[in-house]
Amino acid sequence: MKSPFCHRLQEVEVFRLSENPINDNDLKKLTLDDECGGFVCFEGWVRNHNQGKSVLKLAYEAYPKLAEKEGNQIIEEAFEKFAIKKALCTHRIGTLAIGDMAVWVGVSAAHRDAAFKACRYILDEVKSRVPIWKNEHWTDGESGWVEQE
Amino acid sequence: MKNIKVLFFGKLKEIWENNHLNLKTESSNIEELYSELLKSASSEPFKSSIKVARNDEFCDWSTTIEDGDEVAFLPPASGG
Repeated sequence: MKSPFCHRLQEVEVFRLSENPINDNDLKKLTLDDECGGFVCFEGWVRNHNQGKSVLKLAYEAYPKLAEKEGNQIIEEAFEKFAIKKALCTHRIGTLAIGDMAVWVGVSAAHRDAAFKACRYILDEVKSRVPIWKNEHWTDGESGWVEQE
Repeated sequence: MKNIKVLFFGKLKEIWENNHLNLKTESSNIEELYSELLKSASSEPFKSSIKVARNDEFCDWSTTIEDGDEVAFLPPASGG
């Protein structure tokens, strides 16, 4: 599905769910812009522990149609709030191992302040609003759904 | 009677032991549908943390449901 906001990014979907590993180099190339002096990126990685438990892997599930709508809405809000030129976000779904990248957010702007703020805004809003859920599998063989931080 | 498809995500799938249900209901809105569904829940979820969606759009608990609707119950997001 094409994003309703693709005009900003030359037909590139701005928020995507991906079942495959995130290609951060390609995303960065799509986000860089000759008019921009600042590029800020956040990468979220699967770590080997959470709340005192040793983590083996994570399984992410999403409500895809609503997740893409909400993710695109968040990026549109970032364009309204901050003086940025381009923004992209990709979130993995499926089973991820320790050391896999789970989420990538990149923002280009003429100046750094807007790029930092927009990147933070997009990440925080995606984590709290986009219907994606994380099931942790621990090294003791048990698993459980992660509650909102 | 309306035919409604109900979707459960995250820990709600475990509470209803299903990721979806197809049911016939006389409930007129999502609040009533939820009360009906609680009868088949293995435990009672923390309702105030649940968001609801009708046909791929977030909506209110008071939203009217119609024949053929897809209603989703969403626990708090935990992506990132």
